[in-house]
Amino acid sequence: MRMGDNNEGGLGTSKDEPQMNQDEMILAQQRQIEKEISDSIPLVGSLEPLESLNKEYLTDTVYLEKVKDLAKKYKFMRRTRPDGNCFFRAFSYANVEILTGKKEEFEEFYKLAENSKNALVELGFQQFTVEDFYDTYMEVLKRIKTAPTVEESKNELHTLFNEQGFSDYMVVYLRLLTSGQLQKEEDFYSCFIEGHRTVADFCHQEVEPMYKESDHIHIIAACAALNTGVRVVYMDRGTGKSCTEHDLPEGCTPTVHLLYRPGHYDILYP
Amino acid sequence: MAGSALRRLMAEYKQLTLNPPEGIIAGPINEENFFEWEALITGPEGTCFEGGVFPAKLVFPSDYPLSPPKMQFTCEMFHPNIYSDGRVCISILHAPGDDPMGYETSAERWSPVQSVEKILLSVVSMLAEPNDESGANVDAAKMWRENRDEFNRIAEKIVRRTLGIPI
Repeated sequence: MRMGDNNEGGLGTSKDEPQMNQDEMILAQQRQIEKEISDSIPLVGSLEPLESLNKEYLTDTVYLEKVKDLAKKYKFMRRTRPDGNCFFRAFSYANVEILTGKKEEFEEFYKLAENSKNALVELGFQQFTVEDFYDTYMEVLKRIKTAPTVEESKNELHTLFNEQGFSDYMVVYLRLLTSGQLQKEEDFYSCFIEGHRTVADFCHQEVEPMYKESDHIHIIAACAALNTGVRVVYMDRGTGKSCTEHDLPEGCTPTVHLLYRPGHYDILYP
Repeated sequence: MAGSALRRLMAEYKQLTLNPPEGIIAGPINEENFFEWEALITGPEGTCFEGGVFPAKLVFPSDYPLSPPKMQFTCEMFHPNIYSDGRVCISILHAPGDDPMGYETSAERWSPVQSVEKILLSVVSMLAEPNDESGANVDAAKMWRENRDEFNRIAEKIVRRTLGIPI
């Protein structure tokens, strides 16, 4: 930071400008690079055979072994855009996809979603900040639910989740539900938060803003909010030939299966 | 996306009109374009900016409220957290991770459940309590720390100017 120049006593000298603009330029450039990378990948991709992972690790024996192990349990995968929202997008998508074709369970989930806005408002979220996300969330559920066939439901789901406007609002709403769950069960979750932050601070900084990546605590709270269990299969450079599985919440019968590689989540299909 | 942004901005405008926070007026400059607002902020009582009425402009992105607006005072300002061209530099106008000023981790950040009202209230607090750690205007930050009397004199001049009182 530039210091020690004479202060001319004028109001608003422009000497500090170049420094600041440079910071902003670096930030803008970083954003641009991230955007270029992420825009080349669909928000939610098509179903691919699991073996498509091999292409990423042609010379990497550790990963190739693990893909082999993974292929014993899973046949397909669906990639999501690595934009920091991948857990929320993948989880939301997979959860609704499983519900298509299960009329009763879908109805039950629809009711749970319908009541969720009032719960958020009771927790102190301002109505007008929650409303648009809730409306979009319900509209998407409704359109998928009322499609005449299971196949059309799935097409609708895929189309809507690849339209930025709908897809991002689905992400935001699940972020808000997750934040609501964390704040509702504050006593329980506060033990898992590092540093001196309150649960509310954590939610404002790590859960509610877009593009913030998810940790274990986000996943557990999101599962509780949607009343669903998820199996996260960890694939990393660690020793051993198999991937590690974690069911969240512990001991649940998971419906959604996600592949986690450091920093990113994709959807898995048995 | 711009449709969602417009709907939200209209809701916020309505909210601000029905329940205006004390000392703040804000709304679109022209009702044909909801993406550019003007705000008038009264200097908080008991501070060197007391009595001033400071005009500012807010510009909203097409993906608002996923991304925050930008805010710029359109009158002369001298304050550690305001650039010399009037742009406001506070943490609520940045998403977490966007950290040009090295904000404290506990500071309030932008998220889709923040609002114009929350921004303007943060700006009022900022006027009352400058953060001299993140100096958008280094001269102002230095003077705030080392020569408060001189800082107060400059602030008083600015207050008078906003009211059109001869200095």
